[in-house]
Amino acid sequence: MSNLLSTLLIFLQDYGYLSLWIIVFVAAIGVPFPISLVLLAAGAFAAMSDFNIVLLFILSFSALVCGDNVGYLIGRRWGSKTLSWVDDSKRWKRLIPAGTIGRSRNYFQKSGWWAIFLSRFLFPAFGGVINLLSGSELYPYRYFLLSDIPGEALGALIPLLLGYIFGASWEAIGDVLGYSSFLILSVLVVILLVIRLLRSTKSLEQVKAVKNSPLEGIQGTPAGAPAAKTSTGSSGNLPLL
Amino acid sequence: MITSRKLVVIGVLLCLALGATIFLAAQTVQAIQQFREQHALRLAGDLSVNTISPWMTIPYISRAYNVPESYLLESLHITDPKSVRHASLQSLAARYNRPVEELIHEIQTAIETYRQQHPPGHSFASWHTSEFLAQERGIT
Repeated sequence: MSNLLSTLLIFLQDYGYLSLWIIVFVAAIGVPFPISLVLLAAGAFAAMSDFNIVLLFILSFSALVCGDNVGYLIGRRWGSKTLSWVDDSKRWKRLIPAGTIGRSRNYFQKSGWWAIFLSRFLFPAFGGVINLLSGSELYPYRYFLLSDIPGEALGALIPLLLGYIFGASWEAIGDVLGYSSFLILSVLVVILLVIRLLRSTKSLEQVKAVKNSPLEGIQGTPAGAPAAKTSTGSSGNLPLL
Repeated sequence: MITSRKLVVIGVLLCLALGATIFLAAQTVQAIQQFREQHALRLAGDLSVNTISPWMTIPYISRAYNVPESYLLESLHITDPKSVRHASLQSLAARYNRPVEELIHEIQTAIETYRQQHPPGHSFASWHTSEFLAQERGIT
């Protein structure tokens, strides 16, 4: 067990509910505290009649939501300005092509909800970063709350209940949870890469078919005119040739 | 050609992700096995005393290691159980001006002595029952 976790648990045992609220709130803002392990331990303490499980849930849920909101507001207030400055800055344009930040903003608007929802309970290590990113990408606050609240309800409930059920074995459960969440993340990455690989292979075959076709140049552009850009779908607007 | 170069990059990333997935799957299986072993030990009341940490409280140790709270309090010469109910070993050590390692060692010795005196067949619950009956009948 890390010294940090031990210190947090001493704080929790000695100062009770208030300390739990503070720890969870600070962690939700983005400070890298092992919050799932603290909640597992709190659930185990509740099983041993040291705490009330319902009160633990209410407090940890409220602290998580408050912390997330603070993280989102920090991102919205300073993160979005920083991103706009990076987008306008000539120095940064060498590293980040023009329009990249705008595209990432559009992408987050479309599919940010699942990143917010899943990071609350499946990948809590990314929760703080996602909050800052949501604010920075100007993700609508209403939708942020709609994804955040059910996600955090699960984020508080799962570790508390597991700790409550398995009692003093909570440390071993913590290892299982940690590895399994990274395993799920890894499987998701593999699935995404396989989809991308299949799409790229398909588009490569299409390009080859067009190149080998005897009608190439007749059906396409008129002679002398510049070739039209071909979209690969998954590869965004990168030119194929 | 950008697409074929992209294919190679995706292929390499996929290999890395597959490697990470296999590694994480093995670690998860190992963690599940460790959890099973630890949980079985805890249920049998045979958890290793080396896992006692400064954040634990006396009631927590009592439940986790299947040793009566009164026995632990007695071995630590604590007369007021209510005052130490929510106190971690760290704060107990500070309260009694003792190093926490010494306090932990004393608890470890007490648990081992208790286990020697009460082999696995003699459960925590039956100890409580015998203690209760003994007190009720005035036997010390």
